[in-house]
Amino acid sequence: MRGATPIQSLLLRAGLYPMLFGQMIRRLLRPPFYLRETLLQCEEVGVQSLPVVLLTAIFTGMVLALQSYIAFHRFAAESMTATVVSMSILRELGPVLVGLMVAGRIGAAFAAELGTMRVTEQIDALWTLSTDPIRYLVVPRFLAALLMLPLLVVLADAVGIAGGYLVSIYMLDQNPTTYWNNTFLFLKQIDFYSGLLKALVFGGIISLVGCAEGFYCEGGAVGVGEATTRAVVLSAMSILVGDYLLTAWIFQ
Amino acid sequence: MSKQVKIATRGLCKSFAGRPVLDHIDLDIMTGESHVIIGLSGAGKSVLLKCILGLIRPDAGSVFVNGENWCALSAEARLSRMRCIGVVFQGAALFDSLPVWRNVAFVLLQQGMAERQARARAEEVLDWVGLPNIADKMPAELSGGMKKRVGLARAFCHRPEIILYDEPLSGLDPVMSDVIITLMTRLHEEHRVTSLTIAHNMNLVRKFADRVSMLYNGKIHQQLPRDQVDQCQDPVFRQFVEGRAHGPMQVLTEKRKGGSR
Ligand SMILES: Nc1ncnc2c1ncn2[C@@H]1O[C@H](COP(=O)(O)OP(=O)(O)OP(=O)(O)O)[C@@H](O)[C@H]1O
Ligand SMILES: [Mg+2]
Repeated sequence: MRGATPIQSLLLRAGLYPMLFGQMIRRLLRPPFYLRETLLQCEEVGVQSLPVVLLTAIFTGMVLALQSYIAFHRFAAESMTATVVSMSILRELGPVLVGLMVAGRIGAAFAAELGTMRVTEQIDALWTLSTDPIRYLVVPRFLAALLMLPLLVVLADAVGIAGGYLVSIYMLDQNPTTYWNNTFLFLKQIDFYSGLLKALVFGGIISLVGCAEGFYCEGGAVGVGEATTRAVVLSAMSILVGDYLLTAWIFQ
Repeated sequence: MSKQVKIATRGLCKSFAGRPVLDHIDLDIMTGESHVIIGLSGAGKSVLLKCILGLIRPDAGSVFVNGENWCALSAEARLSRMRCIGVVFQGAALFDSLPVWRNVAFVLLQQGMAERQARARAEEVLDWVGLPNIADKMPAELSGGMKKRVGLARAFCHRPEIILYDEPLSGLDPVMSDVIITLMTRLHEEHRVTSLTIAHNMNLVRKFADRVSMLYNGKIHQQLPRDQVDQCQDPVFRQFVEGRAHGPMQVLTEKRKGGSR
């Protein structure tokens, strides 16, 4: 890739994602699978992200309740606060915010980890120890992200709605029963499932971008730094663009 | 013992950005031989090693191991045959996330050997390289020389027939260098390991090599048995052996015309 023009190297980089994706899919069809690695990554992606994700979710729910209350108060429709909170969290804020937070944590971690392994020849070493590096390093991370992101989003949804509830009941003096009923009254199943679908897609994006940037990293410590930055920026942008596309598609 | 070719390369070519690094390399390594490759920094020694391992795809040519053309194999078939090769990397390349014993027993664990048994084997090999009681340490806690020896233990733990060493002595003190040479010699003599070593160090060549090849300008410039190393009159080879900055191989750009040679 050295000595290529910027356009060429950009195209080459863009080609890495479908390439790695294809390689991964081919490996998912046949054993061996590395269960131990996958579980370790699930812990890393799922359990370790919990504090960040839940904190983000609860404050988002709280601020959302406050803001929508202010807006609805102007035309005396305060009772709609609950519906707006639950619907925006389920459809939009839960998956997107979890996606962005996890992109920061996990996208960066994957790129830095695999990038370091690449530049210190650990990936080459795996190959010489008759272990397929994509199978051993990339597939477990991809599966873990696919599996854990929807779970994180379910928890974030619950905590976010709870945050909105707390603010509305204890700060804004709304009636608990009415608020609770209004939270679910207008919800449809699609609101919940579309959020899960988004989470799944975002999990795929984050792990694919992070792993590809790290796996094909070159250029020593500087290269690892650049790969990490690119992984976070690219996955965050792709999440936002992907979110619009998915929403537009579900909306149809 | 019949002299069979263990590793052979035929017409191996590789260039980076139009600059040829390997140019039709034909190399034969016999069973049980310890073959050392020398050459200037940047001559393409590591690239040659990586081509043999399949870590870099050569532009042309093929690599035969045990008579089988590895360049024609699928990645999976190649991986399954990698077990007959152990590699000691220049920077050891230990897996940071695994404790020392899991590093050493990596292949055994991947093959499904029970943890207890694999660990016992790893400790045995660690003992052999002179590092008892470090099985539970993490690689980051080790010194460079210890890492090198753990790397050697990992390369040998699954008893490969071939070991490739990429600059096994770089960054080691003279005593530790001799320790590594002794271990390499033992593997060679006691376990009949065929080896291909990349070296800068003439000491290693004199003590360990059966045959020496010099890589220069993308070609095998010279190939000699060990006992002829000091008699060889080839100017390029002499410059390397004597370690002079000036000679037929130009490393520094000349500032003054007609300077000392
Ligand atoms: N991935 C790569 N992309 C571009 N050029 C490369 C790549 N790998 C190696 N090269 C070039 O190939 C040449 C040979 O490199 P190589 O690493 O094989 O040298 P070496 O003989 O092992 O040197 P040393 O003794 O310093 O390790 C160098 O000039 C290097 O710039
Ligand atoms: Mg090298």
